[in-house]
Amino acid sequence: MALLTLENIVYTYGVKSPFEQHAVRGVSMDIREGELMGIIGHTGSGKSTLIQHLNGLVRPQQGRVLLEGKDIWEDPKKIRDVRFKVGMVFQYPEHQLFEDTIYKDIAFGPRNMGLPEEEIDRRVRDAAATVGLTKEMLDKSPFDLSGGEKRRAAIAGVMAMEPQILILDEPTAGLDPRGREQVLAMIRDYQKQRGTTVLLVSHSMEDIARVADRVLVMNHGRVAMLDTVERVFSRAEELEAIGLTVPAVTKILLLLRQKGVAVDTAAYTIDQAVTQLLLLLGGDRT
Amino acid sequence: MRDMTFGQYFPGNSFLHKLDPRMKLVLTLLFIVLVFLPQNWWGVLLTVVFLATVVALSRLPVKMLFKSVRPVLFLVLFTALLNVLYVHEGTPLWRWGFLHVTTGGLNNAAFIAVRIVCLILGSSLLTYTTTPTALTDGIERLLAPLKLVKVNPHELAMMMTIALRFIPTLMEETDKIMAAQKARGADMESGGLLRRVKALVPILIPLFVSSFRRAYDLAMAMECRCYQGGQGRTRMKQLRTTRLDWVALSAYLLVLAGLIVLNILL
Repeated sequence: MALLTLENIVYTYGVKSPFEQHAVRGVSMDIREGELMGIIGHTGSGKSTLIQHLNGLVRPQQGRVLLEGKDIWEDPKKIRDVRFKVGMVFQYPEHQLFEDTIYKDIAFGPRNMGLPEEEIDRRVRDAAATVGLTKEMLDKSPFDLSGGEKRRAAIAGVMAMEPQILILDEPTAGLDPRGREQVLAMIRDYQKQRGTTVLLVSHSMEDIARVADRVLVMNHGRVAMLDTVERVFSRAEELEAIGLTVPAVTKILLLLRQKGVAVDTAAYTIDQAVTQLLLLLGGDRT
Repeated sequence: MRDMTFGQYFPGNSFLHKLDPRMKLVLTLLFIVLVFLPQNWWGVLLTVVFLATVVALSRLPVKMLFKSVRPVLFLVLFTALLNVLYVHEGTPLWRWGFLHVTTGGLNNAAFIAVRIVCLILGSSLLTYTTTPTALTDGIERLLAPLKLVKVNPHELAMMMTIALRFIPTLMEETDKIMAAQKARGADMESGGLLRRVKALVPILIPLFVSSFRRAYDLAMAMECRCYQGGQGRTRMKQLRTTRLDWVALSAYLLVLAGLIVLNILL
């Protein structure tokens, strides 16, 4: 069953002003329980506006958002409960840290939920462990941590609310390769261990290829594609027409096919490509 | 937050948009004088007609223009009310205890209210039709005589430019931080005064931190480009007065003359 359903969402900024901007123009889709969905699209494709509909930060001008079959705007006073169920990590989440210790900052969300103190403590420690922060770090000021640590602490702040769906907007932006790797591995582990539904917004095809089950491709505020990673990448020409780059491996296979070599362009990891090429050469992978 | 209209530039290509910002600044100041000149309703009528013509020339949506009056509406109503109650001229219409309402009072109240609205509409036209950069450029040039008293108009103008430039950035930042904290269940809409003030902390602290970060970055970027004040700096866009500016000034002077005549005759 679909955990979250969007029905024909429309959103325009600055209606009837010279700054009018159609951000989302009629998006319908389902998010399934337990999946890790990647959302991709270049700047201005409406992906950030779209995800803000999912936890009720933005109210759709047209259309409905259904969480477990119920319209989230049925009772606008209860929108806060929706935000606890659909956790959202914004771009550069470390900019929102404000408490004097990491512990208190991670506890901000759970405390707003009105949980008892022992439960808050358990959740803070759980979330900190998930993102790989040590116990000593919990008592430090957020401003004494490194960039990558701050990022992980901020993500822990949302994880500690233990939402049913976790949305991350560009969680690897501005991190060095190692920080990127850590954050991605952390998200994948989190999803595997808890079975939480995760939405990952990124404009790096490589990142999405590595972790996602399904990919949503946004273009000009509309859904351009919504399919498994393999099927989306096999439409590489269309992706490039939209202005998105496919992973380097896929690109090589694509060029091979243009030269008349019969390869399957759905491969997106080096291993898959190696297998493909070996098959083609008639050899075994040994 | 996105609906802030007061003082926002509205792009266009009208007569007003094309005027030299210096001339617009001077004319706005002169217009304020003009508004307080009339001593009778005929004079006010002339001012209103003049303003309406200018608004029509600016091709701005009238509805949006009137939005800039909203923040000062209270002031307008309050002044009008004081006039109604404290001016005891003409024929009395109604009295209750110490409260008197007279025709003179009503007349005065309307007279003042119309003029305040004119004043606000007229001055908001300046910011609606001038980009912040053109505006500060104009101010810098007009303040040039201050150099004689050892005040550096370039620095003043630069401070203004930076402040204006960062208003939208800060508003966007505030929006983002608010969204992020709301996503963590921050509640800004309910509770008593103390709770609401406390609810601001998670927004203000990140906002301050990011402002300082931006200030450092900006200072660094300015130094990297060898910024050292206005000395010897040339401009890409030179301000030039054109025939349009002299037309605008002449129109103003005509209305001014008309008002003086009306004041003397009536």
